[in-house]
Amino acid sequence: MPVLDLVNEALREWINPYYYGIFLVMGINMILAMSLNLVTGFTGQLHLGHAGFMAIGAYTAGILATKGGAAFLPAVLAGGVAAAFFGFVVGLPTLRLRGDYLAIATLGFGEIVRIAILNLDITGGAFGLRGIPRLTNLPIVIIAVLLTYVILHSLIRSRVGRAFIAIREDEVAASAMGIETTRMKVTAFVLAAFFAGVAGGLYAFWFRFISPGSFGFLLSIEILSMVVLGGLGNLLGSVLGAGFITYLPELLRTSVPAVAQHRMVFYGALLVLAMIVRPNGLLGTSSEQGWLEMWLARRKAKHAARGPARLEAAAPGQDGADGRSGE
Amino acid sequence: MSKVVVRSLRARVGLVAALAALLVLTAGAGVFAQQTVVIGTLGPLTGDYASYGVSVANGVELAVNEANASGQYNYVFRVQKEDTRGDSVQAVNAINKLIELDRVTAIVGAVLSGETMTAGPIAQDEGVPFITPSATAPAVSEIGDYEFRNVITDDKQSAQMIDYVVNTLGLQRIAVLYTNNDYGVALRQGVEAGVRAAGAQLVAVESFLDGDSDFTAQLTNIAAANPEALYIAGYYTEAAQIARQAQRIGLNVRIMGADGFDSPLLVELGGDAVEGALFTSGFDSETDDPAARAFIEAYEAAYGVKPDMFAANAYDSARIIIQAINQVGPNRAAVRDAIAATTDFPGVTGPTTFLENGDADKPLLIFEVQNGRFVRVR
Repeated sequence: MPVLDLVNEALREWINPYYYGIFLVMGINMILAMSLNLVTGFTGQLHLGHAGFMAIGAYTAGILATKGGAAFLPAVLAGGVAAAFFGFVVGLPTLRLRGDYLAIATLGFGEIVRIAILNLDITGGAFGLRGIPRLTNLPIVIIAVLLTYVILHSLIRSRVGRAFIAIREDEVAASAMGIETTRMKVTAFVLAAFFAGVAGGLYAFWFRFISPGSFGFLLSIEILSMVVLGGLGNLLGSVLGAGFITYLPELLRTSVPAVAQHRMVFYGALLVLAMIVRPNGLLGTSSEQGWLEMWLARRKAKHAARGPARLEAAAPGQDGADGRSGE
Repeated sequence: MSKVVVRSLRARVGLVAALAALLVLTAGAGVFAQQTVVIGTLGPLTGDYASYGVSVANGVELAVNEANASGQYNYVFRVQKEDTRGDSVQAVNAINKLIELDRVTAIVGAVLSGETMTAGPIAQDEGVPFITPSATAPAVSEIGDYEFRNVITDDKQSAQMIDYVVNTLGLQRIAVLYTNNDYGVALRQGVEAGVRAAGAQLVAVESFLDGDSDFTAQLTNIAAANPEALYIAGYYTEAAQIARQAQRIGLNVRIMGADGFDSPLLVELGGDAVEGALFTSGFDSETDDPAARAFIEAYEAAYGVKPDMFAANAYDSARIIIQAINQVGPNRAAVRDAIAATTDFPGVTGPTTFLENGDADKPLLIFEVQNGRFVRVR
């Protein structure tokens, strides 16, 4: 931890606090988007209640810190575990549903969490939970993003990950191949809930105040749009999508007044445009390559043709290809 | 050849003369130029709560424009407005931008309680004084010593209303119907405290959620408790519907509320069902006070609408900040101390003094709906 504090001091010196805050929220959103991608992108289950898991993690961490005096790391991890527990309880019955029905059930779950938090005493009800210390910092979030990426990336390349993808491609066929589909779906759901809970904990320790209104249905949709924009079933795409969707409103907000005033129109129009131009997201899905990858591949081919293979080690292209599933 | 030399010489002389003149001018300007001080404001300028945020931004802007035009101040003031859409996360970005990029000396905002709870602690940490003209949640005053609040809190509003109906109107049996959000719950707590203090009876407590439109179940329970007055802790849209539905089920009691009622739409939506309803508010747009009248006219001239309580509180808050900066200079800590020392500031919302916890102590007005108009009764 002392090393992290030193790094944080250096970062704070180096980055203007305004951008520091934006980067930090970007990181939290990246964790949320990557974890949702595990369920929606890789396992193919439409899940509209991810903000609910984030809320459980945020409140668990917040309550442990304010009322139990818990330290940062145990509180954040407990937030993840609590969310994972609810992921299990909710996932077991609902993941037997498919498609639209699952979407409605998860949507209902997100609303139940919000209403429950609103009516409990321990959560501070409508007033929200306040007095949480500010312990999240940028180095911690960067480490959390990297860990999430590495864990999910290796998971997807494992036997379990292949089973997830098999379920997405054809659930009946996967079941016929001997994959226990419900068990696998619940596993994906629980893991995603854990990471969302951790993101919620980081959120609580950054904003210091959480209220039921912060975790509404719209947040779930926003996380989903990060995943879809980045590319369903593309882990690196979620990172890019989260960064884009976090910064775009702020960029529009601080632009010329005419744009800033109607920025939600521009924001929506840009998303629609992105989906028309790149229906598979920025980095594409497993079934089709995205423009960034195609562009990188073309560059790579050109350079390879010329001789020097310096760009062959270009990490983004490599990572992008690996992040995609099922090749 | 020589012609060219002469011409270029003349040009050179001209250039030197022009430069010298410029130098004198800028030097003179340097002596007389006033330092520009930036005052920030943040709130929802777009989105669902834009009407509040726009009023606040207009109020601040009007105060600053008047100060600059008056020529009485040692500084030139500039307003930097930031839009939050009422979102807690965007409010953090907005206040970071005001503090770190725009280098504001003080801030008017935030507007909603939720955004103030996330943005306020940052200003506190960075030592930037801020006055919220509208965040009424009781917890806001816990943010710290750089937080000031130029609006009367929810719980005080409802407690004073109960005091009025019990001790002035002589009603004893009180029921409360609250919306389950921070506003409604804080008002309900004030009602409970007020009933206890006045020695009256709280006969029914019912709640509803934001966006509900059918209140018959709750009203039936309330009617069964046979109250004399019903406190509706919510906004005008719900209050109007509740009043209409109460009338329909034959619950004819005195209706009371807080500043959430303070909109012409209350009468438009509620019709004769809200006739006789009482509510508390911090600003009377029909006032006879000359200073307040001047404000109302200037505001109407600038923005084409009548100012509401948000605009009036923001106008007063900005003027308190301007006065403080003028006294002690653009030093954040010194400005904080000057704001804290504000005593009986002649605001358009009445004489304003800041208490130890940063809350403003100023008069609270009570209005009654009479023939579809808001008439001040206290």
